[in-house]
Amino acid sequence: MKRFTYLIKEAFANIRLNQTTTIVAVATTAFTMACFGVFLLLYLNLRGLTTSLQDDIKVVVYLADGVSAQALADLQARIKGDHEVAGLSYVSKEQALAEFREQFPSEGYLLQGLGENPLPASLLVTMAHPSRSSEAVRRWAERLKAMPGVAQVQYNRDWIESVGGIVRYLEWVAIAVGTILAAASVTIIGSTTRLTLYARRQEIEIMRLIGATGTFIRIPYLIEGAILGALGGALSLSLLKLGFELLKLRLGPQSHLLGSGVTFTFFPGQVSLLIVMTGLLLGSVGSLVSLLAFERSRS
Amino acid sequence: MIQLFHVSKYYEGRLALSDVNLHIQKGEFVLLMGASGAGKTTLLKLLFGTERPDEGQILVQTRNVARLAPSEVPYLRRTMGFVFQDFRLLPKKSVFDNVAMPLLVQGISHHDIRKKVVDTLKAVGVEHRKESRPAMLSAGEQQRVCIARAVVTGPIVLLADEPTGNMDPQLAGEIIELFKVINARGTTVVIATHNRQVVDQVKRRVVILNQGKIISDDGVGR
Repeated sequence: MKRFTYLIKEAFANIRLNQTTTIVAVATTAFTMACFGVFLLLYLNLRGLTTSLQDDIKVVVYLADGVSAQALADLQARIKGDHEVAGLSYVSKEQALAEFREQFPSEGYLLQGLGENPLPASLLVTMAHPSRSSEAVRRWAERLKAMPGVAQVQYNRDWIESVGGIVRYLEWVAIAVGTILAAASVTIIGSTTRLTLYARRQEIEIMRLIGATGTFIRIPYLIEGAILGALGGALSLSLLKLGFELLKLRLGPQSHLLGSGVTFTFFPGQVSLLIVMTGLLLGSVGSLVSLLAFERSRS
Repeated sequence: MIQLFHVSKYYEGRLALSDVNLHIQKGEFVLLMGASGAGKTTLLKLLFGTERPDEGQILVQTRNVARLAPSEVPYLRRTMGFVFQDFRLLPKKSVFDNVAMPLLVQGISHHDIRKKVVDTLKAVGVEHRKESRPAMLSAGEQQRVCIARAVVTGPIVLLADEPTGNMDPQLAGEIIELFKVINARGTTVVIATHNRQVVDQVKRRVVILNQGKIISDDGVGR
């Protein structure tokens, strides 16, 4: 227990030894992690939006005029039998007209000159959860188009696919930016550890001479790096939260994403914890890299 | 206890030790004498595992120091104590903490550390300075603390490199008396020195080195 207390105390002594460098390291790590955090926040929100859009996906199967009741029943039975389909409802020509009039009361005159009801009957299909990806919907819709009685199949594919494309693009950007910034954080914290190691090189040598193992010597420096990294991570979260709240204030209370019903949200608790833990891990790695370089230079 | 077989050591091609054979038995008090550059410090470094021989074998108890893996060196050092001419005390730690350090790295309990450190500081006569930092002590006191740190774990071998260097004769005499007490308790003591006063005071086995070779050993295996 005393040994553990000693190792923790030494880590804090290291931090006190280079206060200015420590502050600079934490601030720079926080800034680099916040840059990555912006991408992550954007990515997670857009991914949430696509998931929500996919959850809401409805496929409209327009029926050919004059399709017989038997053909309609067959088609409904066939669609219901597909494992991709969760639900199905029939909208008759009359219902379609009524809905049009209800939704566009001032545009009713458009249909007056046409005589008979031009709107087709349709089947409103809700896709099952595993089949809500735009690719799965596209494949299913293509298959359906070839069926007798089907005039056209429509769904909000382009919209979902374009958001999905942005999300995929953001994934790659986040990975690239994240890798570069992670390397920057490792280097920054590694440099701080290197300064501490240099300042305490004589003490390290004495510890070796009195029988301290490499692990015993390394642990305070690894703890120091972990503390700096975790502080950097926590500070970056605070900066992001501040920026997020300012943005929300600017956008107003209904800060909906791209006009959808989905609101812009901050990281959930687990992701926030993960950011702090990532800082901790990057800090430890930075310290470890410096320790190994230091040991190599002195062996 | 300690056996060196045909040990040679080179530094950048320059011979520091040449074909050294030396046997030291348990409980012996051995003085390594010789001028600067004779190889005394190199021999101690080899025994302590801070250097490796280029040729030959070194046995300390059952360990072959020449073939020791780096990860095993700390465990060799825990069986030995080393007293440095320049003390090598941790400047930011108190006398108590300096002496406690070798026990701490070995995972000794808090209670045992306290007892052993206080007893050892009493034995070397600096218990009253236990809260002081090394910089506040005289050279003699610093050397006593260094000796306390070296013996606090109860090592089987105590090595010392010029422990009376830069000390006046009276102070040197007091330090040597401490080594004699430690040796009387059963610890094997090996001191490298060029101080004749030490030889006269100790009156024990003297090994003389010159240009890396043993040229005289007046008490082999005594």
